[in-house]
Amino acid sequence: MNGAATAMRVRGVSRTYRDGARSVTALEGTDLDIPEGKFVSIVGPSACGKSTLLNLFCGLDQPDTGTIETPALGAGDLLGRVGYMPQQDLLMPWRTVADNAAVGLECLGCQREEARTRASEHMTRFGLNGFERSYPSQLSGGMRQRVAMLRTFLCDRKINLLDEPFGKLDAITRASMQTWLLDYWQENRCTIVFVTHDIDEALFLSDVVHLMSPRPGRIVLSLQVDVPRPRKYGEVVTSAHFNELKSRLLASLGKAS
Amino acid sequence: MKSGVGPPLLLGAGLIALWEIYVRAAGIDPLLLPPPSAVAQYIAQNAGLLARNGASTLAELLVGFGCGLIIGLSLGILMQIWRWFREAAYPWLVATQMVPIPAVAPILVLWFGFTIVPKAATVALMCFFPIAVTTVDGLSSVNPELIRLLRTFGAGPWAIMSKAALPHALPSIFSGVRVAMALSVVGAVVGEWVGATHGLGFLMLHFENRGETAGLFATVTVLTVMGIILFFLVGWVEGWVIPWRRHAKENP
Repeated sequence: MNGAATAMRVRGVSRTYRDGARSVTALEGTDLDIPEGKFVSIVGPSACGKSTLLNLFCGLDQPDTGTIETPALGAGDLLGRVGYMPQQDLLMPWRTVADNAAVGLECLGCQREEARTRASEHMTRFGLNGFERSYPSQLSGGMRQRVAMLRTFLCDRKINLLDEPFGKLDAITRASMQTWLLDYWQENRCTIVFVTHDIDEALFLSDVVHLMSPRPGRIVLSLQVDVPRPRKYGEVVTSAHFNELKSRLLASLGKAS
Repeated sequence: MKSGVGPPLLLGAGLIALWEIYVRAAGIDPLLLPPPSAVAQYIAQNAGLLARNGASTLAELLVGFGCGLIIGLSLGILMQIWRWFREAAYPWLVATQMVPIPAVAPILVLWFGFTIVPKAATVALMCFFPIAVTTVDGLSSVNPELIRLLRTFGAGPWAIMSKAALPHALPSIFSGVRVAMALSVVGAVVGEWVGATHGLGFLMLHFENRGETAGLFATVTVLTVMGIILFFLVGWVEGWVIPWRRHAKENP
């Protein structure tokens, strides 16, 4: 890992849910290292425990066994200290774009006016210029996703978890959002854990791609993506090297499922 | 709404005209059914009397409605915060609505005399229930994913209530408030029927006893207009408190 410090160290993590009389093991003996300042993707089939893993990472849920250490953050409860962007944009229809983006800061104790001002400063960078006072119902899907992302990134966390943020977007919007996210990340190096079921997306964005097996989820393959940055979408996804990495992932995916 | 004002007004005017024509053409006894013109004339000639009594009814109604609103909202919020309280209190809340309010009103008069209190209490008893129910419904239907998101921002129960649950519940709460407003007119009149020295409900009994049918109709008309105005007032406040609904309609 080029000697980079570790942001998050996961050892032997298991999580079983009780669903009435049935019990579902979502994760079993999961080991994972997230290096600091890197873009890491977790890929896997549906219901492989990707979202369970993120819930553990942001402190909404606790593992039954195993440990999650966060050397980058120090010890203590993770809830409220790790950035999290869920699949749904969860914008509040009663708040304007600027107020929606500011809600994370407000929860952290920032005054409403100040939070709104700080959100407004980022409107241009997030392609939302002129929409500060619009309501979410007036925005396109891509814009709503950018508001949700701004809401998460405004909190300025060292580790940010993104759960299939582009899953519901059309292919063209998705490609431009991916490029935009990479640009943004290059300017503001934080650690990103990106969950997706789209292998192209994971490879294009990430430094490392971790592949999960179906339930109970474990990491079955960790692939370094040694494609130099900055990456151009059209060039990267059509290159021979990209396709070689992709076929390795697909081969493991076939074995795992 | 813009195109919607004309047709109902036109229909109303048409029905009133039919009423007038019917009473005159059929030679109905005005002590049974006075023509609209006689009712209008009565209102014009006794505007002071109607206004004075209307003001006391309005005062009872608003005090009672305000109390019902506060009680209903508080109960709704408490039932949302404490699950055990909801389970313990909900059946009893329903039970209060099974008690016939007109039957309770005389007891209230017995306790509080011919003051504003028994009327306001009758109104509050009728108002609080729909507000409590729509409040707890609205609060509990907030997206759990949104609550989880706010918790990752470090939000506590108060921040979740004020930033997510309450604004989310507002449209639902206003449905309850509109129902409560309509009920409060009934509550005030019933409260006056069982013991009052003034007010529109009192005036109705007075006219009934003296066989002044035009006066009775005039009083009912004033009550109805008051109810309609209050109802639309709630709608106006709603549009002001919930501006995002307007925008959602503009851009479906």
